[in-house]
Amino acid sequence: MKLVILGRGGQGVLFFSKVLAQTAIEEGKSVKTTEIKGMAKKGGVVEVQMKIGEGYSPRIKRGSADLVILLSPDLKAYAKTFGEKHFFFSKKEMEKALKEVPLRYVNIYLLGIFLAKTHIFDIDKAIKVLDEENKKALLKGYNDVQSR
Amino acid sequence: MSYRVYLSGNEAIAYGLITGGVRFLTGYPGTPSSEILPTAQKLKLRYGFKGFIDWAINEKVALEMAFSSSLCGIKSAVTMKQVGLNVAMDPFVNSAYIGPSAGFVIVVADDPGPYSSQTEQDSRVAAYFAKVPVLDPSSVEEAYLFAKKALEISEEFKIPILLRTTTALSHGKSDFVIPEITIKDEFQPAFKENLKNWDKEVLRLAATPKQRFLLHKALNEKLKTISEKNKIRYFYEGDILILTSGMVFSYLMEIVEEHKLQKKITLGKVDMPYPLKKEDFSKFKKVITIEETAPFIELLLDTEGRRNGIVPSEGELSLEVCEHILAKIGLIPERKSISIPPLKRPSLCPGCGHRIGLFAVKKVFGKKTIYTGDIGCYTLALNFGVTDTVFCMGAGVSFAGAMSKIFRLSDKKRFVVGIVGDSTFLHSGIPPLVDAYHYRFPFLLIILDNKTVAMTGNQKTPAHTKSYEGEPLNSVKIETIVEGIGIDFVKVVDPYDYRKTVKILKEAKKYLSESAKPAVVILRHPCVYTKEGLEKNPKKPVSIIEEKCTGCKYCISEFECPALQWDEEKEKVFIDKTLCINCGCCIFVCPKKAISEV
Repeated sequence: MKLVILGRGGQGVLFFSKVLAQTAIEEGKSVKTTEIKGMAKKGGVVEVQMKIGEGYSPRIKRGSADLVILLSPDLKAYAKTFGEKHFFFSKKEMEKALKEVPLRYVNIYLLGIFLAKTHIFDIDKAIKVLDEENKKALLKGYNDVQSR
Repeated sequence: MSYRVYLSGNEAIAYGLITGGVRFLTGYPGTPSSEILPTAQKLKLRYGFKGFIDWAINEKVALEMAFSSSLCGIKSAVTMKQVGLNVAMDPFVNSAYIGPSAGFVIVVADDPGPYSSQTEQDSRVAAYFAKVPVLDPSSVEEAYLFAKKALEISEEFKIPILLRTTTALSHGKSDFVIPEITIKDEFQPAFKENLKNWDKEVLRLAATPKQRFLLHKALNEKLKTISEKNKIRYFYEGDILILTSGMVFSYLMEIVEEHKLQKKITLGKVDMPYPLKKEDFSKFKKVITIEETAPFIELLLDTEGRRNGIVPSEGELSLEVCEHILAKIGLIPERKSISIPPLKRPSLCPGCGHRIGLFAVKKVFGKKTIYTGDIGCYTLALNFGVTDTVFCMGAGVSFAGAMSKIFRLSDKKRFVVGIVGDSTFLHSGIPPLVDAYHYRFPFLLIILDNKTVAMTGNQKTPAHTKSYEGEPLNSVKIETIVEGIGIDFVKVVDPYDYRKTVKILKEAKKYLSESAKPAVVILRHPCVYTKEGLEKNPKKPVSIIEEKCTGCKYCISEFECPALQWDEEKEKVFIDKTLCINCGCCIFVCPKKAISEV
């Protein structure tokens, strides 16, 4: 599976992706990723390409991604260069995330939503790779979807 | 026992070096090489062995230190980016002749693209120039294995080895299995112990030109032996041979399998591009080399590739480009090219001290002044007109010196302001400042001191008082160095104190007009991207007074803080609170006083 995760600097794209990668490894799959960070840290685009259970290189060809995950909704045009299938968070979900958890856990709360909605990854395996605070944020996001 | 790791190429190199026995590791940060050394530091903290792992002032010093350590019998390595190798070229070339006494590896990260470098130069060519064997890994796992292999070859032949990586490999991550790490804490340096034979050793270690000839001969013999053993590895069974090395090999493997080209293409993987011997290619109907970034194997083995226009002469050979090359020779259909929308250009972080400091410089010196910039985050000041040139490490100082002299020799009055960061100044900005003082070059040097190597991920500078292990270090003060040269206009100010900064800059301007000497202003404010810098940063929440904002966009174009954004509907500026760190600096920027403290 080929995934691309996109967002802005400061949104925690790298940690979001790291947890996904470690979850896949926990599931016994091979993982290859690459991180492309802009020169400046805040506000620039952060892009993670991830291959799970396939390939030799950590790069993904434009137009070949199975799914593009967007943490920042303004990157849709750029996301399209990787593939047609996109996963993004609604404005409501973003606002709720900011209310529910401290700013630094927003990315993991959103990851919880992603896991609950897609079932691509095993939530129990994801929990295994997180510390207590992150686990709480992940489950909050996950359960918010379940209880809807 | 073995276990699974998930590492980047850079981390894998550090694992390979340390488990291979390296106990002296230094380097200078530079994208994409910067994460190797900090990973080795983490391993040292985890396994607690004796050794030295820390940054050097520049690549030349780093290479010299690591090489001398190897002369003491300690396995050593040095890391840098490709343009860093240019800085270290003198000791690099020499190290091949002298030869190390224990394993010695030079890790160089190239940047095809380029993503964050001045050039797309190919360090394999530098290795050829220096007569140093070079290994070019194609995967993260190979980065780990080749780091170990490099040490083994170096030990066996007493020759330096260049381990070359590229951005795609250094920053790519992969899982793979490594044997359980057991660290032998052996640290037994030896030098000048056998006094009986010492005179013979000195002939190598302090060789005269006559000796050098013999050393050169010995080096050539080593290279010949290594090249005999260096064989190309072949994959698949087609009658078109594609030779390659580095990350491009992995791309080509994927493309061959995706397009089922196993019967059409043979891939020839070159692990060690130099020294490389010709092999018999007569059974192939075509031989092409696809490699980053120079036609290197292509020239050594005289194949097709860049020289007959099949492979593009510049840019990264991404998966897409590799596919395009195979389409060009008729192996696969040409894919529709995908146009990539432009992304927002990078800017300095919100609250960055460089921004308000350089805004003050622009206010005092105006747009006609020549601003010679340098390598670092502050290169981004070109976005708001306070940088006219960016060349190479330290050139901000030499450019400013020479240009100020040139204008002083003419009847045109021009101010020249050099801009350099603390780490870049220490790296190679001091020698040109000595010349500037000596020759009375009349310019202002701004040293932006944020107490960190911010651009490459906040590595430590010589200003720090503690090592990563908590050991005390002597802190180097930039103003002491500048005063020591003899410069008498030296001021230090925190640019967050905007009024005081402007006052000092005006004094400096007056000094330049009245004297024929360089002046130095150190703008010191900790980097807000570090945890400590952000925590200790003054908090002054601001807001836009909408009635006063005329929508002139002066703050956006002249100050360029990412938190100051344009509201299309209202045609006014607003503050993006998710980006703003409440530094309050923009209060001084708005000509209409529409930004005020809450």
